Amino acid sequence: MMNRLLAISTRFYKSRVTRIVRDTLSILFPIMLLGSFAEVLKFAFLSPSGFIATLFSVTKWLPFVHPLSQLAGVISRCTIDMIGIYGAYGAAYSTVKEYGKKSAAVAGAVGILSFLMISYQTGSRGRLVFNPTLMGQGLLIALIVGYVCGRVIVTFERNQLSGPYQVIRPLLIILLLSVLANLFISFLRSPQVQTFIFSITPHPVQGNAFPYVIGMGLLTDLLSWLAIGGPYTASPTFTDPPALANLNHALKAGTAYNAPFKYTATTLFHSFANFGGNGVILALIIAIFIFSKRKKFLTVARWSTFPAIFNNNYAMMLGVPILYNPILLIPFLLAPLVNMCVVALFLALNWIPAAVYPVPSGTPGPLIGFIGTNGNWLVLVLGIVLIAIDVLLYAPFVKLYDRLNENAGDKHETTD
Amino acid sequence: MKRRTKLWLVTAIVAIMTVGLIFVSLQWSHKNVAALTRRHNSQLSPVIMIPGSSATENRFDGLVKELNKNQRNPHSLLKIRVTNKDKLQFSGRIRPGDKEPFIVVGFQNNRDGYSNIKQQARQFNIAFKELDKRFDFNNFKAFGHSNGGLIFTDFLENYFADYKDQIKITKLMTIGSPFNFDEQSIQNKTQMLSDFIKNRKKLPTNLSVYSVAGTQNYTSDGIVPVVSVMASRYVFQGQVKHFTTITVSGTDAQHSDLPQNDQIVRLIKQYLLTHHKPRRPE
Repeated sequence: MMNRLLAISTRFYKSRVTRIVRDTLSILFPIMLLGSFAEVLKFAFLSPSGFIATLFSVTKWLPFVHPLSQLAGVISRCTIDMIGIYGAYGAAYSTVKEYGKKSAAVAGAVGILSFLMISYQTGSRGRLVFNPTLMGQGLLIALIVGYVCGRVIVTFERNQLSGPYQVIRPLLIILLLSVLANLFISFLRSPQVQTFIFSITPHPVQGNAFPYVIGMGLLTDLLSWLAIGGPYTASPTFTDPPALANLNHALKAGTAYNAPFKYTATTLFHSFANFGGNGVILALIIAIFIFSKRKKFLTVARWSTFPAIFNNNYAMMLGVPILYNPILLIPFLLAPLVNMCVVALFLALNWIPAAVYPVPSGTPGPLIGFIGTNGNWLVLVLGIVLIAIDVLLYAPFVKLYDRLNENAGDKHETTD
Repeated sequence: MKRRTKLWLVTAIVAIMTVGLIFVSLQWSHKNVAALTRRHNSQLSPVIMIPGSSATENRFDGLVKELNKNQRNPHSLLKIRVTNKDKLQFSGRIRPGDKEPFIVVGFQNNRDGYSNIKQQARQFNIAFKELDKRFDFNNFKAFGHSNGGLIFTDFLENYFADYKDQIKITKLMTIGSPFNFDEQSIQNKTQMLSDFIKNRKKLPTNLSVYSVAGTQNYTSDGIVPVVSVMASRYVFQGQVKHFTTITVSGTDAQHSDLPQNDQIVRLIKQYLLTHHKPRRPE
């Protein structure tokens, strides 16, 4: 079965679109790696609510903590929060390059132009405002925009003209398309349409039943694999009604056992399915260290370890890449699913208390549940066992991916 | 061999750091949960008071004495003065076991005018932050005479969000607070009233507000027009849980006499205080 998967994946791996996506993501990797370092520094080390900051009261004794945090903020704002621009650039550039044309550099600029035009918000009183959601979470849209730009340029450019003049005709077409896309988004953002969308989307009344949490958790993972923001945010907020009810119950009873809402986003998804970020990326990193022989993966994993400890998985998503990677999608969904189910079983049997107490942002994987239960040792052990299981889940896919990369022909990169 | 040593070294360092981190996390978690429990189970529900312009933190001494008359468990009184340099000066104390102490916050800069009120709201936030740190209370009641009511409103709209998850304000009583300053007509909204109305969505929704007006004649308490006191409805009504307006007339209904007014003392007992039991008749 693994061999068949390998055969299918190899074919897929060699397709043009896949290569374009891979090239684009590898352009993004170094930028987003530094961005994720900055984000971790800002949120886990330099913000009063961060994990390291809370435990060691960093904000109290470190000099220049405020300007340092602002500096880290500048970096993460201009990298991770602007990922769309880089994606549009990379996709347009890689597409034109893939089709063997010389105008790749110009195409990159055109990609940026088109994406900026689409995300520009009209009606903001003439100020320069771009749609922050599109910029920060619209990588998929950015890739599509870049790809379309690239294809238009490839199709319509005139070879008899030289240099940048070639792109004038395709540029006109792209400008027109971008303006139309902008109008469409403005239409979507108008209050009437928003109200309509709000009225037709289902609003779950009981947001804490077990199947609902599992479903939403998997949907979050799937969407993050597609590089779109999911229904659950990256970190728990502890302000949703079930979480507050759990906390109040625990504070009153003096114990986290028998919480009124056992199966919530906080008790299952955030506390046990997110070690190292969506998809239990910490387990993938360990699996790569143990099972992978490819230098590229080892390097990516080594660089990504620091942000992943504090649950930031951007670097791994782009570096391996996990995004749009069908092989790794399976364990990427399976590992969190297994974790949530095992924990739900333990909760149902009342072997462990529910994670109800607030946890600082950026708390490393298994410690989330540990702190969330006010130091229950069984929860810590369970967390470590779950990571071990997840490593084993990832292992065959890491090996498969190693082989696939050999089959795909870039053998020169392999070590030993 | 060398590679192996390096691997061991890395493993050892990682292991030590992990154990250390677990230990520190455990410590912090215990401390944090203990603090959360203390606050959650706290019975303390202070009444925080702000006097009007030109008055000091001693403004309510008489009122507190009046309220404590014939009380089995008299309320203790803590006074805080915020200096122009944002320093806090404490006098009086909260008696241990007192569930409903009075805390009066006065300001060295006690001048009238919107810019001063904004300044005083900012300074009140400094005092409130300190109270939050020193005493574990999860709810409080507010009482403001004249501009004191305006300072509370400004505080609730602009600063209270930081405490919202931990502390609830249950009741606010304003006495003769000029929400539209001296304006005789609601058509002429002052900058302050416009700001209050603009930010009213930030007011807590579980709050009960009592807006009390004094009246010497049909239009004013001698200083503040009744219309200006009643302008508070444009700020609170429909946003907070309950909003009640009360007009008081008769003896001591002049603006500055209001805190000593018998009717108002009775209103405070009735609406604001929750732990108020008269001494058993002997």
